[in-house]
Order: sequence, then C-alpha cells, then structure tokens
Amino acid sequence: MNKDTADISPADVSVSDEELWSLFPGSVDHDSAAHYRGRLRRQLLINRCAECGIWHAPPKPVCPSCLSERVAATPTSGAGTIFMAVFLHQGPPAEGVDYSTPYPVVTVELDEQPGLRYSSTVVGSPNEEIQIGRRVELDWIMRGNAPMPVFRLTGPGRA
Amino acid sequence: MTGTRNPVRDRVAIAGAATTGFHPRNTNRSQASYVAQACKAILDQCGLTPRDIDGLCGSLPAAPAVQSMLGIPEVTWFANPMIPFGNHLAAAVSAVYSGLCDVVLAYHGAYRMAWNTGSALKDPFRRGVEFGSGGTVAPESVAGSVGYTAWASRYLHEFDVPRKHLGYVAVNNRTNALSNPGAAMRVPLVMEDYLSARMIRSPLCLYDMDVPVDGADAFIITTAERARDLRLPPALVNALVLGMIDKNEEDQTPGLRHHGQQVTVEALRAKSDFWIDDIDVFLPYDGFSVITLNWFENVGYCRPGEAGSFIEDNWVANEDGTGRILIKGRVPVNTHGGSLSEGGTQGSGHLREAVHQLQGLAGDRQVEGAERALVNIGGFFFNAQGITLRRG
Repeated sequence: MNKDTADISPADVSVSDEELWSLFPGSVDHDSAAHYRGRLRRQLLINRCAECGIWHAPPKPVCPSCLSERVAATPTSGAGTIFMAVFLHQGPPAEGVDYSTPYPVVTVELDEQPGLRYSSTVVGSPNEEIQIGRRVELDWIMRGNAPMPVFRLTGPGRA
Repeated sequence: MTGTRNPVRDRVAIAGAATTGFHPRNTNRSQASYVAQACKAILDQCGLTPRDIDGLCGSLPAAPAVQSMLGIPEVTWFANPMIPFGNHLAAAVSAVYSGLCDVVLAYHGAYRMAWNTGSALKDPFRRGVEFGSGGTVAPESVAGSVGYTAWASRYLHEFDVPRKHLGYVAVNNRTNALSNPGAAMRVPLVMEDYLSARMIRSPLCLYDMDVPVDGADAFIITTAERARDLRLPPALVNALVLGMIDKNEEDQTPGLRHHGQQVTVEALRAKSDFWIDDIDVFLPYDGFSVITLNWFENVGYCRPGEAGSFIEDNWVANEDGTGRILIKGRVPVNTHGGSLSEGGTQGSGHLREAVHQLQGLAGDRQVEGAERALVNIGGFFFNAQGITLRRG
C-alpha cells in the first residue's frame, strides 16, 4: 500500500504484522495485508484503483488496467452470482470441514464489476441448491481465531 | 499481439526420447533414480556419452544435481523451468538455436508426491520432493488443480452437455494405454465404469484426473544438422508457443473462450507450416479431461462446447465397450494413453509419444508413416502450450 493512499484505505493498523501473520499463516504479504486486516473487521476488501476506478483480484501492487500505484483495499458488498461450483469429496484438512458431505467451493462474480470474482464456501444451504447462477450474499464464519468470508444463498432458485 | 516470425522453424530437433515407463504406486526408488535411468537410456539410444552433453534442462532434481549424478563433465547452459514440459522444450530449443549450447539433455521425473496422494504421504522419503504449486492450504480456493474442476463445472453449465462428454477422453486414453507397455493403467475402462466412478471433486471423478506415477522421460535436443548425424530420424520443431493472457489466476480467467489456449492456437497456426488437416497424430493434454475437450475446440476441430459431440462422430467403438477417437477415420488422439492412463507426466509423455510416432518407435500403437504431430501441453491459465513437430 502506498503511503499517499493511506487516507483512502480502511486498513486496520491496530493489529501488528506479526499478529496478522499468525492469524493467517502462510497467506499474508505486503500486497494482501490490507485485505486480511479487513477480514478481522468482517469487511471483504478488494483492491480498487483510485485513479481509474477498476477493481482487481487478487491484490496487486499496481492497477493492471492503468498501472497506477494508487490502489487501495476497498469494501465490497459481497453480493454476487455463483460463476463456478465445485464439491470436494476429499481435500486438505481444515477446521470445521467434514468431507463426509461434499464440501462446496464456489467462485462468485461480485456485483461491483463484471469478471471480478472471489472464491469461498457456501453456508446454510444443501448442496443441491448451490448452483451456478444462484445469487449470494456475504456472511462470516470463524476459522481458527479469525473471521473468514463465506457466501449464503439469497433469492429464489434458478429455473 | 501475435506474430508470424519463426526463424527457428525446423532448425532444432528432438533427436530422441526415452522413458522408464510409469508406476501408479509408491516404488522404493527416488525421483533421481528414474531420471538417471531415462537419461542413460536416451544417451544409449542416440549413441552419445555424458561428454557430448553441454546443456541440461529439467525441474526435479535440479540441473546441478543431475549433472553431478550423471558425471556430465561440463555444460555451458542449464535451466530448471517450471512444469509443464513445454517450458523445458522451449528453453532447450532457444538455447540450442541461439548457440548457448549444442546438445541438451532434457529430463522429467514424474513422482508421486506427498501433497498429491495419501499413500505417497505415508512414504517419509517423498515428503521433501515437490514441484508446481503443491496443495492449497485452505479448501476454500480454486487455485491449483481444483481450478480445472471449477472450470469443468462452468463447461458443463455453459454448454449444457453431459459428463459423458468428459468420459470419452478417459475411455479413449485408457483404450490407447492398453497398447502401451509403459502405461500405468492397463485395465480396460468403459463408459459405465466412468459414469459410476467415485467422485473426487464433483463434477469430476477419479477418471477425469491424471494418475500420480513414478517414472521419467528424457530427451536429446540439438541442432537439426547434428540430429541428422545421430541414429534416429530427427523430430524437427516446426513451431512452438507458450500462450498466456493477463487474467491467468484460476478464478479470474475471463471464460472458456478466452484463456491461454486461444493465444497459443492463434500464434501456433500463424507460425507453423501445417495444421490439423495435415497431422497424423494429435496429443492434447489431459491432466484433467475438460482440458482435452477445450483443446479440441480451440485448435479448430469444432466450436466451443461441441468437443464431446465431435468425439462421438469420430469414435471407433469396440465390442467390449472400449473405444477410441480416430479423427476423420485417420488421426488417433493421445496414443500413449495420456496423463489419465499412461500417467501424469506434466506433458513429457505427450511430447515423447509424438517423437516416438515420428520416429516409427511407437510399437503396437504406431501410426503408419506418421510425419506430422500437434502437441498441446498444459491447461488454461499459465501453461497452455503448443508444439508442431515433423519428421526430418
């Protein structure tokens, strides 16, 4: 994050870098720290360019559309549409994940911009309802000591 | 932006290719031992000694370890490219053409890695061996190999086709593997087996995903002139492309009509002297079955979403339920069995098979008089590769 964009960044600096690393081991670097700090406040932050307004994911140090360095982790609504859907019958061990029921992993196209996508699981619905084209909203669960963004189905099923 | 410039056309050759064959279970051997076996075999086959080698190219073990292991006295060039194996070929061809070295020994050790299979994890001596992105830490991600399952879900949704279309790739490759003594999977597979198989990551099942194996391939890459002086007919590299687009993360890739494969195909068609009507064997990557369907569509056999129907129209069914693709009654596909049935070689198997077909060394699966091959290694994101080869 550039110093001169700190004013438009909602990044929470109250958590030290060491603490952030221990909350999200193996995941955080200088370009993604603001995103992970946002998770601690249950905000899904995605990088947006302060000059051209284009969003991008995952976090990059420059805007891939105009190469401006004035990119800032910016809150999204987390609302969107399921673009791809996988059900894991086996997978890496993770707290709260039981593969005896296949575990859903979806890529959601966020409403903020066509093609801007975020991947996570879906909570609160049986697998047969988790389908490409379904609308979702953001929700949060705990993984370890940190909140994790997840999706929840909204609205009626797709015909 | 793609160009037609291709000064390297037919100037560099694959002089030979050798394999150890592949094993779908943990063997009591190191990855290095398979690489050594394959390298020794290719030196013997080409009539070369370690002193003749001045370039080395492979992922694991790294080139310095392989040079030390094989007692190659001096090299003037080496590289440790990332998988898949089109990267290795591109590096070696460039090095030879530019004169950084004259004779490259390129190798690929396929190895059952601890992150990939539960049984491999049980062998402590495998836990330190890793290439590629490895496993993702958390399950809520489509990075790495899960990405192909995600795009398979998109493929089936967008084109409204049945899983059977993916199954054709698995059945074709298994039927072909029955004629490959080096293949890991040599039990016949029919569509009913595919459709009733254990799901691993729905919508993909066990037979949609390549088989983790132990084994290795090795190649000699040198100038066309030098290759002609060696024992076997050279396989000339007519054109080679490593295509990629900007949005190449698995979940950000724009769509099935816009990813690395389209870039590769456009550039390769422009650079190559021949295309699909002229080839004798087609080797599209099949680390995941959906990749193969997309290659069929993108190289121009049919339109997006129509690969399964195209395969149905070009299918040779056997009485026992096995069967294989023979395009226009003539061109077979993944004659070695591909990654799904020969074993997951990250593309070295597809390249080796192309070389063997062009050299007349493909045994029971030899395409008579094969002169031209199209090899498409890799998937959608940062690994969509294309190579046209012709017999020199």
